[in-house]
Amino acid sequence: MTELLVDPFRLPYMQRALLEVVLLGVLTGAVGVFVVLRRLAFVADALTHTVFPGVVIAFLLDRSILLGALAFGLLTALLLAGIGANRRVGDDAALAILLTSFFSLGVVLVSRTRTFASDLTAFLFGRVLTVDRADLVQTLVLAVLVLAVLAALRKELVLRAFDPAGAVALGYRTVVLDLVLNVLIALVVVAAVKAVGTVLVLALIVVPAAAARLLVDRVATMAALAGLLGAAGGWLGLAVSYEVSVGYGVRLASGATIVVVLVALFLVAASVAPLRRLAAGRQGPATLAARGQRERR
Amino acid sequence: MGSEQGPVLAIRHAAVAYERAPVVEDVDGTVSSGQSVALIGPNGAGKSTLIRAVLGLLPVVRGSIEVLGRSPEAARPKVAYVPQADTLDPEFPVSALQVVLMGRYRRIGWVRRPGKADRAAARSALDAVGLAERASARFGTLSGGQRQRVLLARAIAQEPRLLLLDEPFNGVDAVSQELLLAALQRLRAGGAAVVMATHDLGLAHLACDEVCLLNRHQVGFGPIGTTLTPELLRVTYGGQALELRGDAVIVAKP
Repeated sequence: MTELLVDPFRLPYMQRALLEVVLLGVLTGAVGVFVVLRRLAFVADALTHTVFPGVVIAFLLDRSILLGALAFGLLTALLLAGIGANRRVGDDAALAILLTSFFSLGVVLVSRTRTFASDLTAFLFGRVLTVDRADLVQTLVLAVLVLAVLAALRKELVLRAFDPAGAVALGYRTVVLDLVLNVLIALVVVAAVKAVGTVLVLALIVVPAAAARLLVDRVATMAALAGLLGAAGGWLGLAVSYEVSVGYGVRLASGATIVVVLVALFLVAASVAPLRRLAAGRQGPATLAARGQRERR
Repeated sequence: MGSEQGPVLAIRHAAVAYERAPVVEDVDGTVSSGQSVALIGPNGAGKSTLIRAVLGLLPVVRGSIEVLGRSPEAARPKVAYVPQADTLDPEFPVSALQVVLMGRYRRIGWVRRPGKADRAAARSALDAVGLAERASARFGTLSGGQRQRVLLARAIAQEPRLLLLDEPFNGVDAVSQELLLAALQRLRAGGAAVVMATHDLGLAHLACDEVCLLNRHQVGFGPIGTTLTPELLRVTYGGQALELRGDAVIVAKP
């Protein structure tokens, strides 16, 4: 087991990759909880595609890819908040228009480069093994920022997700809370672009949180478990892709392997969840009867 | 504060609009501390619209609505709203106690976590609706009536001067109904004013002493004994009201 889980990470580039995916796993797990509870998976999906032209433009101009992605991520978050107001178009159609138009813009721009195919692959699926110290620092800063905002606003974000009408009645401006969450999702996508690419980050956001959703009944434990699953999936995925690539000579893309491992973890959670419910149900009727008696008294 | 002397809710010839078109007009009446008013009228009569206007969520285009002598927006911290329990996702991962604590969030403020006093208030509110022992149960595992009681407990934890309820007795079992009525009675004894939209004339009699009859405009507003009459109900409900042995009965279309 140590051969698989520890040995590959004696190499410096593998250590950096591990640190990156563990950081991202914790980060995407925490924000993913709100994506799953608010049913924003499609919004997250749109964001993963709309940052793409920003990445390409930054690459072509030889500027920071992070800043390029950030600019388009924030632009998308703002546009989403604006478009959501128009009922005739509808949220889903607006999202699809935004997603495809921005993504096409990115593809048009990247198709002008000579190394078109390999550039495109790198943007879409990431290059976690080429993560350097500066990338790690950027991810760490974004992670601290996003987790701090999530921790600060968690009770309001949970209230808004659970009972939007109640939140409004209490005087909260849900439009502002929604914009903040969209910006946070955008920041997470931006943080993950270099390592796992713009497409696979969606799996990192949605899959661990959805698995945690199946297993626990509190938002806080759900966030902790999703972060843990994300980090564990990242670690295991990296280890497996290294082992298979180096040990067996079959090249496994690390980002995609991480996603496959995450989905496997989700399937385990999905098969464990009904068993847990069954176990809870077995002791259920007796306690329910006791409660009924207490209430009648 | 002069508002302490006047009515909790003062509606003066108010018209409320939704997307510019007035939905409900000519509403006029006051609700004092300790009073309870039933909003009665057919579907689409403007009951929910009026409640949303009192919350300051819809514009008053004519006349005025004042809560505690202030605008509805300014008075919002003193106003609690109880939605219908079945509008909320039963799978959402929150406990009954966490739902009740939400009533304290504005008081707690941004960033800070609920403190000891907030937890104590939430627990005593749960106790007031007979659910102290279910504090850690997930909201969705409770029965419909129990969920409605949790939402009332959330409003109680807010310590409101004005309580607004939307169909609080829909799909509620007899035990829950008793406990809801008792908790509302205690709130009123403590000085809160209550406004509830309801279809249930029997419960309106049990829970309220005043009634506001609505069908796009106000048909009547006054003491329940003299206002909830067969004649006025017929005007409110049109063809949907019929009379049985002198009592007005509403026959709503299924």
